[in-house]
Amino acid sequence: MKAPEGVRIALMGNEAIARGFLEAGASVITGYPGTPSSEVITSLHEYGVSSEIFVEWAINERVAFEIAYGAAICGARAAVTMKAPGASVALDPIVSSAYGGVEGGLVVLVADDPGPHTTQTEQDDRWLGFLAKLPVVTPSSPQEAKDLTVSAFDISEELKLPVILRTTTRVNHTVGEVLLGPVRPPKRTAGFVKDIPRFVRAGMSWNLERHRWLNKQLDIAEDVFDRISPVRNTVEGSGRFCVVTEGAAYNYVREVVDELGIEVRVVKLSLLFPPPRKFLTEALDGCSDILVVEELDPYLELVVKSLLKDRGSTARVYGKVSGSIPLEGELSRGLVRRAMTSLLPGTPSSAPQEVQPRQALKVPPRPPPMCPGCPHRSMYVAMLIGISRAGYKRGEVPVFGDIGCYALASQPPLEAIWTEHSMGASISMAMGAKVAGFRGPVIAVIGDSTFYHAGIQPLIEAVHKRVDMLVVIADNSVVAMTGHQSTPAWSTLESGRKARPVIVEDIVRAVGVDYLEVVDPYDIDKMINAFERLIKQPGVKVLVSKHPCALLEARSRSLRRYRVIDEKCTGCLACIKVTGCPALFYENGKVSISADDCVGCGLCARFCPYKAIEVAGNE
Amino acid sequence: MLGSVPTRLSRWPVMSRIVNIAIASVGGQGGLTLSRALAIAAVLDGYSVRTGETLGMSQRFGSVLSYVRIGKRVFSPTFSTGEADFLLGLELVESVRALPLLRDGGVAVVADTLKIPISASLEKMSPRVDELIRELTRRSRAVIVPASKIARDAGNPRAANMVVLGVFQGISGLLTETSLRKAISEVVPGKWLETSMKAFDEGLKYGVSVRTVP
Repeated sequence: MKAPEGVRIALMGNEAIARGFLEAGASVITGYPGTPSSEVITSLHEYGVSSEIFVEWAINERVAFEIAYGAAICGARAAVTMKAPGASVALDPIVSSAYGGVEGGLVVLVADDPGPHTTQTEQDDRWLGFLAKLPVVTPSSPQEAKDLTVSAFDISEELKLPVILRTTTRVNHTVGEVLLGPVRPPKRTAGFVKDIPRFVRAGMSWNLERHRWLNKQLDIAEDVFDRISPVRNTVEGSGRFCVVTEGAAYNYVREVVDELGIEVRVVKLSLLFPPPRKFLTEALDGCSDILVVEELDPYLELVVKSLLKDRGSTARVYGKVSGSIPLEGELSRGLVRRAMTSLLPGTPSSAPQEVQPRQALKVPPRPPPMCPGCPHRSMYVAMLIGISRAGYKRGEVPVFGDIGCYALASQPPLEAIWTEHSMGASISMAMGAKVAGFRGPVIAVIGDSTFYHAGIQPLIEAVHKRVDMLVVIADNSVVAMTGHQSTPAWSTLESGRKARPVIVEDIVRAVGVDYLEVVDPYDIDKMINAFERLIKQPGVKVLVSKHPCALLEARSRSLRRYRVIDEKCTGCLACIKVTGCPALFYENGKVSISADDCVGCGLCARFCPYKAIEVAGNE
Repeated sequence: MLGSVPTRLSRWPVMSRIVNIAIASVGGQGGLTLSRALAIAAVLDGYSVRTGETLGMSQRFGSVLSYVRIGKRVFSPTFSTGEADFLLGLELVESVRALPLLRDGGVAVVADTLKIPISASLEKMSPRVDELIRELTRRSRAVIVPASKIARDAGNPRAANMVVLGVFQGISGLLTETSLRKAISEVVPGKWLETSMKAFDEGLKYGVSVRTVP
């Protein structure tokens, strides 16, 4: 990624965006980890940047956006990265930013996830354009991702508006060849020019005036985009049958058109908001049938239909509304081929290579489990036993989960959490159950990073309203699920920056909970005991389950390994049923432990009724 | 342990069409490193490349499937059932799961490693190595590689992915060895580089020997 201008290298879409930030001279880059957006900042940390550039994770997307916005109104070039639900977290300041605008370029990366592969919803953030009235651009490849990132900064400065760089997983996580451009020196603040009507949203007449200004800026956005961006809205081919597409979907269209060897007009949009009406009017001129190929919502389809209506065109439009393209899931060449051939008589309905799979051996599913030695597993095992010891059945105590690795406990055999909703929702939703009259105990489970991100205010709410609940903070000292990013508890950050650790327990104490206990979940009996006591106790109780992420710990400490004594193992599966640890497996009537995977937490040995699991020695 | 040995494959002809490679693994085995090495080497060799994968720590110990597409000009990062020219497998269950991707006459290069999923253990329905290998050889031209053993002998038990990469190159000759070595040096951290390279070399020898069996 540090290679010089003019070199062509293989880069992942997210690395290409990171390179784009550097080529554009961004000096403040922040965000919150979230698949598929995380690698932008991770790769900048990995490769290292000059001390003139601030590259750090923020506590959440809203704070990240506000940091970047503050930098941009002071004239710096700033960027902020987030996954789609993160954009919802940051929505309040994003929408207001359109009124004040910016001085330095501000680019907001929002990564949507058709599929979905790793996101709670298939939300379509192209609508942010209409909602926030901010320009939205989208790339279809790693090369375009880099180039469009650079021009997004120029467009942002020209329009004095933040620009949303909207991507999808198949661009963020795709590796492709990228021709590098020159890296510009970072553009830092040139000073903050005081302008109260512009930056104070408390004056309603100011807001009305700024809204008029905003609409004028949007009126010229298409012209500015055309003038500045090398990644253009394009028309390829010709004919009366036209395909309108954008982003990752373009790739499938391009290849299907080539495979079928047909003459169609392919219209690709890179500017999504404001809809490039001048371009589209010309590009769609003379079309009789238009197929809109896009992922997530029928966004372009509605844009095209409204444009055609205004122009009195009678062209037929096909897409998600007509059922030609599915409303859910991600696209593929196969789906695009089917949509096109069904509308184009005379084309083969399926390519010859699409064969039915032959009679096949069925293999067992392998959903991602918690890792061997994961401290969350020990915590959940203790929780489930603690619930029984407190005199309840498992089905009687709702466990409100939150977002992070610990949500993997929804899989068998643990099936420990009942909900996983949005960042921080565990505590607030548990409170909802109680204030609605739920009589028994309730438990909320939230990770350390999620607690910092959005769990502190719910905890204040629960304490303030005196709602009985047990809050478990699963503190593994890292943002594990997205690739081990820093939390506010770190003293040295990925960039090398020295930081002041802000500790979970200090916050919890300051909030004024009724009871706080910190237990290492590897001390399983102590943990079971804590659950048993705290479930029965009234008040807001916080149990911090504190042990480092096993993947990180395995890198720094020597491992104890366990093995199964064959003669003692009866194949009862108690170890597997209690823990669900993926280092354990059943074969030929016995359980064995994969020496490559065991990290020596000892949880299985603790629950073997026949004492058939013992330490195999240290490594 | 060899399945049906592929008929002699000469050096891959000048890439007149896109070559599709599926990589099946269990999260943590290095499937993504393998796909990245192929992508880097392909670009060094002057090709266009696209990979499609799902990333994130949450994939650890779960099924991981990567797509790699190499050609003169590639757009899509994924491909469909029956379109893979090669299946590179780091684990047997995942390789069988990915088999429908392989085209008729496609070649599977698969490590003989078995990781039994929790779901199978809970049902006492663990798949067996021999039946998985039989399935692979029945439904494809499969080369089953003792990749873990070769990697361990090379001094790096975690380099089975590099062994499979070597076997693939030995059989296909798809990319240049120079580019692959450069790619490996980019994706493997310094202290593991020497043994990873050795694992690749041993895989390469293995692949060449398989290729030249009459």
